[in-house]
Amino acid sequence: MHPYIELQVTTNYSFLRGASHPREFATQAKNLGYEALAISDRNTLAGAVRMHVACKQQNIRMISGVRLDLEDSPSFLCFPTDRRAYGRLSQLLSLGKRRAGKGQCYLFLKDLLEGNVFQSGKGQVVVVIPPDEINSIFKNTLHKIRNKIKNNIYLSVNKKYSGNDKTRFVALKALTSSLSLPLVATNDVQAHLPERKILHDVLTCIREHCQINEAGFLLHANAEHHLKSGDEMLRLFADYPEAIANTVKIADQCRFSLDELRYEYPVEPVSFGSTPQQELSRLTWEGADERYPNGIPNKIKTQINHELTLIKELGYAAYFLTIHDIVRFARSRNILCQGRGSAANSSVCYMLGVTSVNPAEIELLFERFVSAERNEPPDIDVDFEHERREEVIQYIYDKYGRTHSGITATHITYRYKSALREIGKVMGLTEDTIQSLSSVVNWGQSNKRDLKEEYIREVGLDPTDPILKMVLDLARQIIGFPRHLSQHTGGFVITKAPLDTVVPIENAAMKDRTVIEWDKDDLDALGILKVDVLALGMLTCIRKAFDLIDHHHGRKLTLSSIPQGDQQTYDMLCQGDSIGVFQVESRAQMSMLPRLKPRNYYDLVIEVAIVRPGPIQGDMVHPFLRRRNGSEKVYYPKKELEEVLSRTMGVPLFQEQAMKIAIVAANFSPDEADGLRRAMATFRHDGKLPLYRERFISGMLQNGYELDFAERCFKQIEGFGDYGFPESHAASFALLVYVSAWLKCHYPAAFSAAILNSQPMGFYKPAQLVRDAREHGVEVREADVNNSNWDCTLEKITNIFPPPFRTEKKRIRNEVKFSSFLIKKSHDDGLEVNKCRSSKDRSTALRLGLRQIKGIQKTAAELLVNTRKQGYSSVLELKARTNLKSSVLENLARADTFQSLGLNRRRAFWAVKGLSVDAPLPLFKHLQEHQFQREPSVVLPTMRLGEQVADDYLSLKLSLKAHPMELLRPHFKAEKYITCASLTQLSTESLVLVAGLVLIRQRPSSAKGVIFITIEDETGVANMIIWPHKMEQYRQTVFGSQLLGIRGKLQREGIVTHVVAERLFDHSFLLGNLASKNLPDPNFVQSSDIKNNLSIANKKTRTPIPRSRDFK
Amino acid sequence: MRRVISLWLPTFAIDRINHRAYGKSQANPSGKTIDKPLATITCAHGGQRITAVNSAAQAVGIVPKQSLADARTLYPSLTVHQADPTADLKALNILREICERYTPWVAIDTFDNTPSNVSLWNTGLWLNITGCAHLFGSEEALLEDLFYLLKNIGYQARAGLASTPGAAWALARYKTDPQTKLWFISNTNEDIRNCIAELPMKGLRLECAIIEGLERMGLLSIGDLYRIPRAPITRRFGKSVLHRLDQALGDLEESLSPQRGRSTFSKYLAFIDPIGRREDIEAALNRLVVSLCTDLEQANQGARRLVLTLYRVDKSTGKVQISTSQPRRDPTHLSMLFREKLEIIDPGLGIDAIVLSASETNPLKVRQTGLNTNSIAEQTENVIKLLDRLVSRLGSDNVTRLEPVERHLPELASREVSAVSIPSGVKQDWRGPTHYPSRPLQLLVHPLRIDVIAEIPDGPPFLFYWQNHQRRVIAAEGPERITPEWWLIRGNMWKTKPLNNDVRDYYRIEDKDGKRYWLYRKGLYHPDNHPTWYIHGFFA
Repeated sequence: MHPYIELQVTTNYSFLRGASHPREFATQAKNLGYEALAISDRNTLAGAVRMHVACKQQNIRMISGVRLDLEDSPSFLCFPTDRRAYGRLSQLLSLGKRRAGKGQCYLFLKDLLEGNVFQSGKGQVVVVIPPDEINSIFKNTLHKIRNKIKNNIYLSVNKKYSGNDKTRFVALKALTSSLSLPLVATNDVQAHLPERKILHDVLTCIREHCQINEAGFLLHANAEHHLKSGDEMLRLFADYPEAIANTVKIADQCRFSLDELRYEYPVEPVSFGSTPQQELSRLTWEGADERYPNGIPNKIKTQINHELTLIKELGYAAYFLTIHDIVRFARSRNILCQGRGSAANSSVCYMLGVTSVNPAEIELLFERFVSAERNEPPDIDVDFEHERREEVIQYIYDKYGRTHSGITATHITYRYKSALREIGKVMGLTEDTIQSLSSVVNWGQSNKRDLKEEYIREVGLDPTDPILKMVLDLARQIIGFPRHLSQHTGGFVITKAPLDTVVPIENAAMKDRTVIEWDKDDLDALGILKVDVLALGMLTCIRKAFDLIDHHHGRKLTLSSIPQGDQQTYDMLCQGDSIGVFQVESRAQMSMLPRLKPRNYYDLVIEVAIVRPGPIQGDMVHPFLRRRNGSEKVYYPKKELEEVLSRTMGVPLFQEQAMKIAIVAANFSPDEADGLRRAMATFRHDGKLPLYRERFISGMLQNGYELDFAERCFKQIEGFGDYGFPESHAASFALLVYVSAWLKCHYPAAFSAAILNSQPMGFYKPAQLVRDAREHGVEVREADVNNSNWDCTLEKITNIFPPPFRTEKKRIRNEVKFSSFLIKKSHDDGLEVNKCRSSKDRSTALRLGLRQIKGIQKTAAELLVNTRKQGYSSVLELKARTNLKSSVLENLARADTFQSLGLNRRRAFWAVKGLSVDAPLPLFKHLQEHQFQREPSVVLPTMRLGEQVADDYLSLKLSLKAHPMELLRPHFKAEKYITCASLTQLSTESLVLVAGLVLIRQRPSSAKGVIFITIEDETGVANMIIWPHKMEQYRQTVFGSQLLGIRGKLQREGIVTHVVAERLFDHSFLLGNLASKNLPDPNFVQSSDIKNNLSIANKKTRTPIPRSRDFK
Repeated sequence: MRRVISLWLPTFAIDRINHRAYGKSQANPSGKTIDKPLATITCAHGGQRITAVNSAAQAVGIVPKQSLADARTLYPSLTVHQADPTADLKALNILREICERYTPWVAIDTFDNTPSNVSLWNTGLWLNITGCAHLFGSEEALLEDLFYLLKNIGYQARAGLASTPGAAWALARYKTDPQTKLWFISNTNEDIRNCIAELPMKGLRLECAIIEGLERMGLLSIGDLYRIPRAPITRRFGKSVLHRLDQALGDLEESLSPQRGRSTFSKYLAFIDPIGRREDIEAALNRLVVSLCTDLEQANQGARRLVLTLYRVDKSTGKVQISTSQPRRDPTHLSMLFREKLEIIDPGLGIDAIVLSASETNPLKVRQTGLNTNSIAEQTENVIKLLDRLVSRLGSDNVTRLEPVERHLPELASREVSAVSIPSGVKQDWRGPTHYPSRPLQLLVHPLRIDVIAEIPDGPPFLFYWQNHQRRVIAAEGPERITPEWWLIRGNMWKTKPLNNDVRDYYRIEDKDGKRYWLYRKGLYHPDNHPTWYIHGFFA
């Protein structure tokens, strides 16, 4: 094989230009006998680490480089020869990127030839790429470049098979002789194999937004831009052997490797004369004294000493100090935060205040998280309040500077759905065909690469259609191709040396954010540390609850000062009463709580981790529950596993346990175990998984385990690949579960107000949260212009027992006869729940904030509140004082917020509408408007309860007046429907008929096509199970109804009740009739076909009830 | 008293599509409609939205304005068609013409008070039948005839008949009746008051926002307005509410203007005795052409398309249409173009009137004619005249010219387009992106297989046989490698064939006689696959 090294390699990290992955290039280069391979993506190093890793695996050398595409001159290939030159190249790219918007890079010839950044190509090998037409402009530019860059400059030549190659070679040769520039051969490689030409064409079309049959000359005429062997290249350049030899010459010069990018921790300010380790030690012991004012227990002391020694050994002190500093800043700003991740649950972190999880309580071994052996950097993620995380991010930028800190990138890659969509467009499928296709992917198989023919047929497409086949085939190929860079949710890289000499920095789409080009896997591969600064809605909620409790009840709470082990809180959770509680409020968690019956903190850790695809797919849940309930003996297949699994009764539930099993039972080295985790987590398309599987199972069999157990273990590890949930994370989350549950249990009013003020977050919508609050005895008051602020607030109740209802409500209530079940229930339950509710909380009522109202901006609400003083006495006064826009006032009226002015919704709206739009004429300016505009009095029709409720839902998405189902009850009662609440009194297997508003539809991937629907009526919620065959039968009803009726069999497990649907009915049309004059009459349904057909205009397409939250 | 019918066509767009798919014909005498869910869609509000649905789609819960994604969730195999408002309007115009049999005064009604104007579902027609009903016996009989006609064509409809347009409109759309009547008649003004009182506020043809405001006040039906003092209503909702109410009740005049499909340039000639001989028709046509051209000249316009409509004594009509490649108003030329077509006219039992109208015109300035008749302008003029005649005689698809196309394969790099078509604005390159090497002057439609001796794997030819002569190559340039378009290949080989067996290496070569050829090698060289050679063109 003749020595040749390809220098012009465009990978798919030159987005939509390269048609092969770096690893494919590396493998092919090895096959062709290359000793080294360059990477030269367009103005980016985004793919460099991938290529670096791939080349290492293939045992060939990678030459780092970039193709510099300039705005005002031909392009260059640029290869740094040493670390410093690399830094300058990276800085040059950063310069161009910071100038431009997201994903762009503006560089000019001037930047290369002059200036301090690039230093006229010092230390670089520069290859000029001549344009298609070699004209005098190019010749002049080349002269100019030649004058500035003296050394190591080449002119590239490639064989394009465009008919005039020979002429071109001669012209270039002549040019090089006149300038004494050497020629260097490249093949302008854009794919590793010629077959990729097809994919390349498609990518070109995606990039240029055109269809394949219109692309014309945008596409290459032939497939020659692939990696070729040295012999082949020599044949093509038979007349210019020196051009081939020069590739090797360049490669020999460029000895820089990405491995040289040593990571150094940023220097944290430490007290005078001390090392980071001493500083960390000092801070830790100070923290310990605070945590244990009565003296540090010996056990803790030993633990701290042990951890500090290990940190010293590994040199991680600076990292801990950085985290500590960020947390300290947040604390100083009163931003709630909580660390999680492998190192976060250490004593040191507890003492530093990074986490509030007391390590003494969970007894996790520090080595499990930071291990000398694995040489894996410690991992600490810190969650902050989601509304205030930006402050923390800006603090980090300010402290370390944009040149030393940046957010990690995420490489957004094609998934099946996006691939189908874009390729469908390129191949000329119509928009609705594309939509049908992607709808097939929607339903439960977004990650699978094969679409079954029957699914395609189901949406009315022909799977044998040749174009469709091409689209599916190409889409499969393109999955995993990077599409663009995006920012990681909060991964920060902070370095001691300027960060832009390590990796180019670019602007993110968001204002004030700068991002690096590499993602977390790239950083891992190079051993660069990052700190995850994440946002968590629940922290916002908890902070707000703390503030409310402090303000109203004078009790100061922190994450760590919440009383631990509160039995009332656990009682509440055991009942599955967890709406609003962090992590355990989903339908699945709610049904798990009564089965698991958590009684202590560690139970919560398990609870958080168990309802996850990993344990569910690995079929670990039922054995665990059986063992916990004592119906199955705790059994360890072998003694060695007892140590690993004793905490979870012999059933592996956590990621760490799965890894540990691999080590203990399948003879994996810690490195291999970690490799296994990575193989599943990210580089999933490497195809390494089957190898690990074989290795894992054979290892376990060797050690005498049963095949079944081994396979189950591996299956579970696979599950973790998608949603890894390690014990360390679960431990941190469990603390927040406990804190939020405690707040809900003892301060339901404050907790509800806080969670409403933190929306959007969590699983439920305001309607359900308010309903839950009322069921827990919280008096909820309507939003009002004289009483509400932007946020929900707490109000003192002077009389402990709330007055039943105001007169107006009483009147409207009396209009319709209905069962006052809701009120009764809240009173009955109230007594029971009130036992744990703090007496102080009991004396407060929740006042809904103006934020609930549709169409009211925060600024408008604040203006209204700030100018309120003693209150508004009329609409006119309100308008005069606030000068709010009429549309805002209309929205306030719609939300029925003028009740304290004695105006009902309709009269308020009438009054608002009556305000004159124009400014008064100068002559009448001094007159009060109403003094001369006397109007005849108008009697408006009174609003019925149904209308009120419908309007409430439209404006507030909830109603305190009644539940829509309550109004429709007479209709349903006549049809023999029973209430959701009464389900609990029926025995299992009984046939029931229930109806309610659809709250949530779910199709968990772990449930094999079963659909879960939660419905709600005026008495409570009920869970429905719909088997796949029923779903097919009632598809329209299942997906389309807002008000769903179900006939089915009752099933009960513990205190969890489900209805297994046999027949389904869509009653949604009844909702549209809520506001109409007559509540629905049963004959409506039987209206004749033709009438239905022609009544589109009459049909109310908009029902007031918000859409359910589906499939999230 | 004025009598107005408001005809509402709620599923017009769908009915029209049904027409197209299952139009009444011999093959489908029953006029069967598509009974699977069917909808039309358009791009609006950042997505695909439903604009109209048929009854089957409605039955599964699909309604206008829904997003297509939602609709597909309800019914995955929903058949959709792109909404085509232009075609809808055209069809509506035809229906309007048909309805002119009831009254000469028919107008299109496209009032739509929905916030997003994406649909034509509120489409309808106005028919002013004042003084016409007696021709059919009674109003009831007229409506019966109208609905019989509509049913036959395949349109679903409802109608209201009243003395004011407003009332008729509201009745057609919002009056419901237990007996599922399709039309409603209100006789007197007093009757109107009662009739529309219970109809929803939407019946007043008001803006959506106003209706919503009124409904919010609890003023749901039109009758609710009767009881409310007028000033406060106007103060809050503007004048339009009471304006529309008064119009509906007949207290305020509402004028509607009928639309006639005649273009501005139109000439009419009626005959006392029906004509049928070709000479007579030609003579009449000539007179019309001359007077039409005078009109065009005064307006500085030239005709691009002329339509001649012949009204036969048996009430049927015939149409002849000509089009020109340039705006024209030269009577002799235009008459000549018509003469080419007159033979296809069937006069039937006789023609009692003809109408000539210019359906498409472009500006055309008066031009000074030159003295030198052989000027270039004159020559082009003659070519154009010839073109018009050829097109008129042979059909526009049969007279073509070549236009460049951006494709790599040489035989696909040009296409034939109609000679009278307007050249597309995009300037296209005849030669391709590399400008070089140029394509041969003469390209064979079908490349010819030839025998060649060449260097392997991809060297130029030394020697080839052409027209039974051995030709030695003295100069060759190439190869230019072109991969055929893979997306056109059907079957399983689409990924490999274009790259291997079908790839072409073109060479420009010169033999020792100085003749230049364009040859190509088909397929890449492979020990067990010897490529074949073709000749594809000749250079000058």
